[in-house]
Amino acid sequence: MSVTSDVDLSPIALLEAIRHQGKEWDVLAPRYGVTNPDPPWKFPLIGTFESLAASGSLPALERRGAEDELGNSVYSEVPAPERDLLALAHTMLTRGLLTEEELVRRMRAVRSRLEAA
Amino acid sequence: MTTAHEHSHSGDDHAHKAAPMVEEISDYEVLELAVRELCIERGLFTAEDHRRFTEFAESIGPAAGSRLVAKVWTDPAFKKRVLEDGTKACKEIGIDWFEPTGFGTPSDYTHFVALEDTPTLHHVIVCTLCSCYPRPLLGHSPYWYRSTNYRRRLVRWPRQVLAEFGLILPPEVEIRVEDSNQKCRFMVIPMRPEGTKNWTEEQLAKIVTRDCMIGVALPTPGKTEDFHPVHKASRPAESSPPKAAE
Repeated sequence: MSVTSDVDLSPIALLEAIRHQGKEWDVLAPRYGVTNPDPPWKFPLIGTFESLAASGSLPALERRGAEDELGNSVYSEVPAPERDLLALAHTMLTRGLLTEEELVRRMRAVRSRLEAA
Repeated sequence: MTTAHEHSHSGDDHAHKAAPMVEEISDYEVLELAVRELCIERGLFTAEDHRRFTEFAESIGPAAGSRLVAKVWTDPAFKKRVLEDGTKACKEIGIDWFEPTGFGTPSDYTHFVALEDTPTLHHVIVCTLCSCYPRPLLGHSPYWYRSTNYRRRLVRWPRQVLAEFGLILPPEVEIRVEDSNQKCRFMVIPMRPEGTKNWTEEQLAKIVTRDCMIGVALPTPGKTEDFHPVHKASRPAESSPPKAAE
């Protein structure tokens, strides 16, 4: 089965900034002596994929198609699962399911919460 | 009032060092949470949906693949359908690759091909590029499957790598390595072993372990799990037996 492509491959500033930080799990984990091969957010990310598919908001075939295209182009240098996360955010932004501005705002709020003493 | 952390972590009874952890918060971690929260706020799904799917994704294993192989061994018509169109035949055992949110799962849309072993041909699967794996059937890939060692060397020296898993095949058996990719996943249908005549599908499924379906082991009567050595405890408990909850 082929999936018709209408994926917008234009780089997105927020996601470009993230991918250029070099903070992928395979970089961070050895730095701290952690041997778990997967970041703790990997399964929650799969939960998001599945929840979006189940609700019809982002069907699995469309997400997978976009993930493949983005993974072969814009995010080809990024390992999984970071690549899958960037591809999801990219797809949601380009489809108007989220806006970059609100995502930036929310990320700021989340970070502040996680770093709270 | 007590809290969960008021017990001692430094007493002689269970002094231990905390496992290392990544002590910084990456933007990936923050992004995952931010996207999820915005989805929930927008009503795209609920937090309960998310928890349920996450729990399901974490819990899948190779049982579906084992069922498929057992059915192939006992039902020639099913075997024919599996070899002709593996993706379609999987629906008969409740795995729908086109509907990952059904009993199938997680987030793997792909084309599935079953590889039948014969007395002169043995298959083994790999993903040389990354870690593609038939998750709806086999669950999550083992760590070694994703290692550079396995991915690099299996395609060059399959016989040697299989021997490292304890699988030594006679020279007359051809070894074929199938490289998975984004759109095509493979799984090995091993040969039914001797000594299993009249076994039920359920009995047969128990000896079809994950490693047999990857192709680094062969099904054997009496062997119902992939054995991976575990280090002996360096300080085994000396006095009381372990509590039930532990």
